[in-house]
Amino acid sequence: MNVEIAGLTRRFGSVTAVAGVDLQAGPGVFGLLGPNGAGKTSLLRMMATAMRPSSGSLRLLGRDPGSYGPRREIRRKLGYLPQNPGYYPGFTVAEYVEYFALLKEVPSARIRVAVATAIEAVELGDRKKARLRTLSGGMLRRVGIAQAIVNEPELLLLDEPTAGLAPQQRVSFRALLRNLGERATVVVSTHLVEDVTAACAQVAVMDQGRIVFRGTPDGLAARGDGQDAGDTPIERGFSAVLAQAQS
Amino acid sequence: MTAATTTPASTRQPSAVAGAGLTMLRLLRLELRHNAMAWALPVAIGLFWLITYRKDMAMPPMWSLRTAGLQSGAVLDFAIPVTGAAAWMGSREVHRRVADQVTTTARARWARLLVPWAATTIWAMMAYLGCVAVLYGVTAHQAGWGGPLWWPAGVAAASLPAFSALGFVIGAFLPSRFTPPLAAIAAFFIIALSTELIHGGQSPWQVSPIVTGPWDLSPQAGVATFYPFLPDLSIAQVMLLAGFTLALLGVLALPAGSGSRTARAVAAGVTGAGLLAAGTAAGLTGTGTMDAHGMIKIPALHDAAADRPLQFTPVCSRTAIPVCLNPAYASYLPVTANALAPMLSQLAGLPGAPAKLVQVSVSFQQDAREGMIVRTDGLRRGGPQPAVYLVLPDQLAGPAMTSEQAAGQLVAAYDPRLVARVTGDGPAASPAQNAVAAALLLAVGQGKLTTDQPPTTQGRIDPGQSPGVAPGTAEYAAAERFAALPEAERRAWLLQHLTALRAGKITLAQLP
Repeated sequence: MNVEIAGLTRRFGSVTAVAGVDLQAGPGVFGLLGPNGAGKTSLLRMMATAMRPSSGSLRLLGRDPGSYGPRREIRRKLGYLPQNPGYYPGFTVAEYVEYFALLKEVPSARIRVAVATAIEAVELGDRKKARLRTLSGGMLRRVGIAQAIVNEPELLLLDEPTAGLAPQQRVSFRALLRNLGERATVVVSTHLVEDVTAACAQVAVMDQGRIVFRGTPDGLAARGDGQDAGDTPIERGFSAVLAQAQS
Repeated sequence: MTAATTTPASTRQPSAVAGAGLTMLRLLRLELRHNAMAWALPVAIGLFWLITYRKDMAMPPMWSLRTAGLQSGAVLDFAIPVTGAAAWMGSREVHRRVADQVTTTARARWARLLVPWAATTIWAMMAYLGCVAVLYGVTAHQAGWGGPLWWPAGVAAASLPAFSALGFVIGAFLPSRFTPPLAAIAAFFIIALSTELIHGGQSPWQVSPIVTGPWDLSPQAGVATFYPFLPDLSIAQVMLLAGFTLALLGVLALPAGSGSRTARAVAAGVTGAGLLAAGTAAGLTGTGTMDAHGMIKIPALHDAAADRPLQFTPVCSRTAIPVCLNPAYASYLPVTANALAPMLSQLAGLPGAPAKLVQVSVSFQQDAREGMIVRTDGLRRGGPQPAVYLVLPDQLAGPAMTSEQAAGQLVAAYDPRLVARVTGDGPAASPAQNAVAAALLLAVGQGKLTTDQPPTTQGRIDPGQSPGVAPGTAEYAAAERFAALPEAERRAWLLQHLTALRAGKITLAQLP
């Protein structure tokens, strides 16, 4: 298992953002669904080693990120796209992705290829020399994805990666996710259930800091039988799970 | 979007040092391209031109003066912009909201942050070195003798990484949109207040990088002209700045998660060593004393070889009596010679007239009660031929003056002395001696003859003893009569009667 979480908790003062989550994930695309404020971003930030948990255990890629050496090893094989990623407006697309390749310690000899591959993967090859300040929000999102995958990560954490993408780009992105999921563990946090249907083999639903459903997209859809809320079976399943959790 | 099909990029840690070095160089190249200091360069260069270059160019083309101006000016000109730019770069990850993305990369925080600091410093250093090259180039073209003093320029250069580190650390630990301007303002006050704390000649605060010599003494033209430049204070200043730089950079690696335990321990050691070096530098400066040549001598850093006078061939005027100056003062020669030429023409060839006027150094002494005391050798005999030792106004502590003011001081100080040397002076001088001396001064346009001696002050040559002749007296009338003679007639009389005059055997009535 690339992700092994047990009793993971994160508190911000009196607020418990993540409350004793247990989760395991191996290679493949894993969807993390939940309403706003469910704790998805906090959970992903802990998995990305950007934030320390208040309690519980966390093992990533077989290592404990609590100490520096293993954490650094994890980070070499980690890709992370935050929910609201910033950027350096003066950098070009290629420079920005190269910058992250260098920070991720991609070997010098491979950087050129790695950068070009990541940029092509997000279909920005024709804009690789464009400065980031000239790009649209959707393009910036794709640059963010490119920096996350430039080191060919074994663990890829994407927080709302399709927000701001055009429908056609979203379809392409799902194909990319499926491909990445063949050799890595990809955890996608989203509130767009169609992303989960199209790309994820496993899905978990979070609410109020807890995992309230864990299974396949079909299993989640099945939970919606007889429900009215939602246009698609998985939306109805999502609504049913949340309603049950909040009741 | 398309699926990546190429071979996965290996994420193994580069084992070869060369690979790691190459990676850091590529990071540095990116940071150099996108560094805030590049945008702040026009400000720094503009400040340098406005504050330092113009002021330096207004000074005589002497290395000592211009280098002192360069150090104190350039530190201010560059430190403030580089602090602000570095604070911007230090806070960039937060205000650009990329902190999570970069934090979750494998590169250690301290290594990641050192690169933009280095890029900021490199931009500032390149601009500074360019400014130094221009100023030194122009000075080399204008100066008659000597060469650039590198230690003061080195102090200003050493201030750049220090203030860059200061701004960067402030930005990294207190990131906000207000941090860069506040850091720049803080740098200004740090520099300004560092000199406010200087009290007395042995203040450790003289280690401030804008101090170029004893704080009670303004920059001296005489420094490093007759005696070598003493780098003692500069060495202490570089030590202080290097210490602060190390300490501040070490702080970057101290927070938890910044690096491995070993790296953080090393950083703590570097911070401690840096603070120790800075404290030592200040302590050493506190032991410094002003030497006789207007520079700070720090016993622990002093090289005794620097106490030996410099060898030089003086430059001399073609006046009736040559005026010989240190070649560093070659640009002063025309003004000096023109000012003294009328009197030198009057006296040339007369018994007792000097063979030449030779410029000598002055000596300084710091006194707890009286402040700065400047000693001049004044009029003395010396060498195989009788010579008058000359001190120029700019060799003394005091405000800068125009060429006309300097010429006026020279005439007021040396004409009476030269005349007295020929006619004889002192309390026992006869009325005829006083009258002839006064006449010679009148003949060259010095009409104010009083017995009042102007006070000796800093920045003024100790005036020569004026002949005791007051208007309305018989001596004054005789002086006016003698001065009215044609120069050839006056000279002929002097050649014939000067020995008798000096012996007191000529009466007022015998004067023509």
